[in-house]
Amino acid sequence: MAGSFGSINTALSGLRYNQVALDVAGNNIANASTDGYVRRRVVGASVSSAQAALWSRYDGHGEGVAVGEVRRMTDPLLDARVRREHGLLSYLSTSRTILARVEEGVGEPGPNGVHAAMLDLRNAWQDLSLNPGGTAARQQVLGRAETLAQALRSQVANITGEEADQRVNATNLVSEVNTAASGLAALNHDILVTEQNGTDAGVLRDRRDQLALRLAELTGAVTTVESDGQFTVSVAGTALVQGKEAGAFVLASGITPTGGADGSPISYRIDASWGSTVLPSGSAGPSGELGAVTEILTTTLPSYRAGLDAVAADLAASVNAQQAAGYDATGAAGGPLFGYDPLVGAASLQVVITDPARLAASSVGGGALDGGNADLLSRVGTYPDAYQRLVNGLGTDVAALDRRTANQVALAGALDDAREQQAGVNLDEETVNMVTAQRAYEAAARLLTTLDEVLDTLINRTGLVGR
Amino acid sequence: MTIGRVTQRMLTDGSLANLQRNLGQLAALQERLSTGRVINRPSDNPTGTTAAMRIRTSVSDQGQYARNAQDGIGWLTQVDSTLDGVTTAVRRARDLALQGANTGAMGQQARDALAIEVDGIREQLLGQSNASYLERPVFGGVTAAGRAYDDTGTWVGVDGAVNRRVADDVVVRVDVDGRTVFGDGASSVFAELDALATALRAGDTAGITASVDVLRAREDTVTGVRAAAGTRYQRIEQSAQAADDAKMSLTNNLSSIENADLAETTVHLKLQEVAYQAALAATSRVMQPSLLDFLR
Repeated sequence: MAGSFGSINTALSGLRYNQVALDVAGNNIANASTDGYVRRRVVGASVSSAQAALWSRYDGHGEGVAVGEVRRMTDPLLDARVRREHGLLSYLSTSRTILARVEEGVGEPGPNGVHAAMLDLRNAWQDLSLNPGGTAARQQVLGRAETLAQALRSQVANITGEEADQRVNATNLVSEVNTAASGLAALNHDILVTEQNGTDAGVLRDRRDQLALRLAELTGAVTTVESDGQFTVSVAGTALVQGKEAGAFVLASGITPTGGADGSPISYRIDASWGSTVLPSGSAGPSGELGAVTEILTTTLPSYRAGLDAVAADLAASVNAQQAAGYDATGAAGGPLFGYDPLVGAASLQVVITDPARLAASSVGGGALDGGNADLLSRVGTYPDAYQRLVNGLGTDVAALDRRTANQVALAGALDDAREQQAGVNLDEETVNMVTAQRAYEAAARLLTTLDEVLDTLINRTGLVGR
Repeated sequence: MTIGRVTQRMLTDGSLANLQRNLGQLAALQERLSTGRVINRPSDNPTGTTAAMRIRTSVSDQGQYARNAQDGIGWLTQVDSTLDGVTTAVRRARDLALQGANTGAMGQQARDALAIEVDGIREQLLGQSNASYLERPVFGGVTAAGRAYDDTGTWVGVDGAVNRRVADDVVVRVDVDGRTVFGDGASSVFAELDALATALRAGDTAGITASVDVLRAREDTVTGVRAAAGTRYQRIEQSAQAADDAKMSLTNNLSSIENADLAETTVHLKLQEVAYQAALAATSRVMQPSLLDFLR
């Protein structure tokens, strides 16, 4: 049995505990819409000093309540899944956004794109075959050939521009990865120290979870929780953060510090005290936004550009060969219409004939008004088909990414929902907690009043006989 | 979906996501309505895009074939009307030769008059042999010189056919080699008429009679060439019709692939608008209540 004032302590512990409960409810309410905030719950522990001496017997009923723990309502498994799916989502949506932008620049199907320019050129050759003597018809061929060359060049310029933007983007992403990694390492350390001091590190944990999620989004990084609670973050199988130390994530090759291309394939490296490792490339390499940007720069855009190069090369080769087979208005053999440098690609495509008389419309020499070669010129080459396939491929890629992104958005959304169910703040719930704590506080205070009155009775009103 | 706890944030996030999706669908429909097209970029429908591009190629080709055919029809019309005149002229020359061969009823003076008319017919034929369409002689092959025969009746054209492509693999010749109609130099209709005029002036009955046969043969030749050109005219006219028809049906196809059905899209837009308004209303109601409204 506790002493006379034991129960006052019990009442006091109730007051204290419920004040903490109110604090925690207040904090939850205050952070109801804070990103990354995980709700806390006070776990009360009823106090007992049942640590009785040997052979003695404890006949108390407990000495009140203490704050056992302010628990962060988080689920490490769910967090890991959220990170994984968000990594994949940011990979898909980044790829989709970039490709969709390229696609908008294509302008197909429509009356203004490269395809329409090809058809216009074909018709101009036919018109020239109707009227091989007409300067207007010849000028029209030159004009439309220039339009086509320009349309192809501007598509290449779109892609080159996008590549340049994405290279700069990659360097920005790398620096963001480093900031996040060093931040996470620092938090690892702070959490360890704080908790060893016995202080609550919930806020730090919230922040560390957010950084781990951001790293997953940036690089598809995988976070594992060590036995001491520290986060180890690995990118493509190599540790980037271990304990309080973060490695440096480095653009090893492919992109210069100013965002130019250095001609080699893009690769990444992690320099850390545990070694310097070049990360694998392709699907085994970094994922997330950086992975998407890398793949776009390594595979997608170059292959589309190569397709345009092939279209331009076929256009120039087939038209120039047919030009050479015919005769121009002066009766001389036809010279090349298109200039094309295979080392530069479609960007070098241009019309090199300036004098309309130099178009080889005739298939007989001597300056005859024949349009046979112009007719053939309208029919050479497979470039319209190749271009159609190219556009179809791009459209299919974007449409597939659209669908996959939509699925992934749903999946990530469901996981976010599950996490929110676990970690989100429900205002009704907090209001109930608040009311409960308030009532409990009032009751503890009443207990104190009651005990005071009991002691008052005992001390001041008992044994008045002898006075 | 099992819902354990529901938080205010889930409600707001969910409402926002749904509003976004609704608004996105509204934007997509609005794009269709304002552009009038269902395929605004390849990814809207990759297969449809390919089909649309192929059909655009065909529409453009058929349009060009129709233009080519129209031009060909111009050439062949010119050829036909010229050959009509040539037939009449040659027949008239033969009539004159027949008259001239009638020695009993005709004096030399009358034959001289016939010879003058024959000279006139020769001039007329020379003019017809240089008939042109859009400044190109239709009997001169691919010559750039502007005439098919010189004044001596010698063909001065350049060998070569004037062709018009009127379908993918159909090329129709739209000119006529003057030599198959008028002959060339010594074997030309002009030499034949010269011979007739000479024979008439000389009263050479045998020569005149020979000319009658020669001119009959020439008339047959011209008629034959005209018939052949007429056949080609028919072919090219049919091709023009076919190209026009094909262009029209292809344009319809293209429209059914690319263009939005305005009525249908409008109905969808209306439905989507209703859905959006419902989402807005639901959001505004969901945001309102909380336990705090009921505790005093």
